Amino acid sequence: MNHDKKKDVPPAGGGDGVIVLENICKRFGPHQVLDNISLAIEKGKTTVVIGPSGCGKTVLVKHLIVLLRPNSGQVYFKNRRIDNLSENELNRVRTQYGFLFQGGALFDSLSVTENIIFPIKQHCKITDWNEVEELVKAKLAMVGLDGYQNQFPANLSGGQRKRVALARAIAMNPEVVLYDEPTTGLDPIRSDVINELVLKLQRELGVTSVVVTHDMTSAYKVADRIIMLHKGKIIADGDADHIRNHPHPIVQQFIHGQVDEDDLAVLRMSGKISQAQFLPRDFE
Amino acid sequence: MIGNLGAITVGGINNMGRFGRFVWQSATASFRTCASPHAYSLIWTQMNIIGVRSVPVVMITGAFVGMTLAVQTYGQLAAMGLEERLGVLINIAVVKELGPVLAAVMLAGRVGGALTAELGTMNVTEQIDAIRSMGTNPIRYLVAPRIMACLLLTPVLIIYADLMGIVGGYLVSVVQFGINNQAYWSHSASGVELWDVTIGVAKGFFFGVAIAAISCYKGFTCKEGAQGVGRACTEAFVASFICILALNFALAVVFKAIYSTFWPLKTLV
Repeated sequence: MNHDKKKDVPPAGGGDGVIVLENICKRFGPHQVLDNISLAIEKGKTTVVIGPSGCGKTVLVKHLIVLLRPNSGQVYFKNRRIDNLSENELNRVRTQYGFLFQGGALFDSLSVTENIIFPIKQHCKITDWNEVEELVKAKLAMVGLDGYQNQFPANLSGGQRKRVALARAIAMNPEVVLYDEPTTGLDPIRSDVINELVLKLQRELGVTSVVVTHDMTSAYKVADRIIMLHKGKIIADGDADHIRNHPHPIVQQFIHGQVDEDDLAVLRMSGKISQAQFLPRDFE
Repeated sequence: MIGNLGAITVGGINNMGRFGRFVWQSATASFRTCASPHAYSLIWTQMNIIGVRSVPVVMITGAFVGMTLAVQTYGQLAAMGLEERLGVLINIAVVKELGPVLAAVMLAGRVGGALTAELGTMNVTEQIDAIRSMGTNPIRYLVAPRIMACLLLTPVLIIYADLMGIVGGYLVSVVQFGINNQAYWSHSASGVELWDVTIGVAKGFFFGVAIAAISCYKGFTCKEGAQGVGRACTEAFVASFICILALNFALAVVFKAIYSTFWPLKTLV
């Protein structure tokens, strides 16, 4: 890992990117997950990262907040290099982010209110609890869950948990919100509610959003820009129309949800195997 | 085969290094926690979960230790006509070795398992990453209060185990075997010194920190899935158990050396 703390200027081509990734490589054991990724996330825009399961989308988004550190390459936030900071220094930077985890990652032992005020309690001196209660009420109203203040995560449905997690992610009014598969596991209507929330946050609070998803309906709805990852590399980058008309066969296959010839060959093979007869065991 | 041995050695050294770094971070976080009053509520909560709820199991352990010692040793002492000295034997064994060690082993099972399972589940459900993403140090928020609670309450729980061991031994010796009550206590009082009680309780500080640090480390580094959490719990208990026995031996040597050095001075006082 490069520890050159003096180099705080993002590379040319970063533009007005609020977060810039430069030549990021990440390896887990022998498996290369990210392969020389360079990317600038534009301020106030919603960038959607798509790609098949296991292609490194979550790993990529965790690098944006340095929950994972790259094996090589640099991460810049507002023109400041952050991948080489200590955890204590990073904690100050991370207060400007909100992160919606795939499963919500709500704290089971805390109520909805306690979950939402967690970052506030950690970083602010609370003098007026009425003000905090009002804030919790406002954030929950934003996600359509006002009245659930005293519930515990175990009593909430999957969609409700994700919405509470979103309320927690925006509790500190962050400049950047990262969404890791926000609509996975939700019914189409709940998915659309989450999409509307992403758009609402961008419109009303002007937040920069990065959404990781493989739900193309959601991607087309919220994206200003779509990036497709495949085998650790960016193979497509542009707005929704650009992606729809992209000539790369893997992009077309993914956005239309089609299986390829290799998958079909495996299915035919497994069909032959499933015809094998297994004699039942005699039970006495 | 040599390659495998090398890989195992390198893996073991890596693990020790990671554990050492985790302990260092936990120690600095614990000192900082002591200096910040708003963290006291977290320690208080953990003291209730870890300490108060462990009182019954630790007391039962202590009582059975004392009672069993009385049953096992009465025959030999009675054969030599020394049954009135049974109290010394039971009480020294309970306050110096068996009370602290068995109470710590019970805590490693009850508290250590719960800590590893809780933190392991938080790890695999990304709750620890969520804490980091909100700009909070998870070691300071999750580990330090648990280490402080174990550090402060393990010695207290050992006192409970000792007391119940003494009561258990007394009941079997005096009520069941009919040893003279006054003789039992007078021999006990003359045989057990304050030093014996002190070293038994002092061991509790070391055992408490070891149980909390090992259990939290295993929780923080556990692998994905139910199997990963279950395995981490087992590893945490086994590592804590071995660590308690090794620490007990090391502390026995150290306290013996201290006692031998300073005991002659006692006659001068």
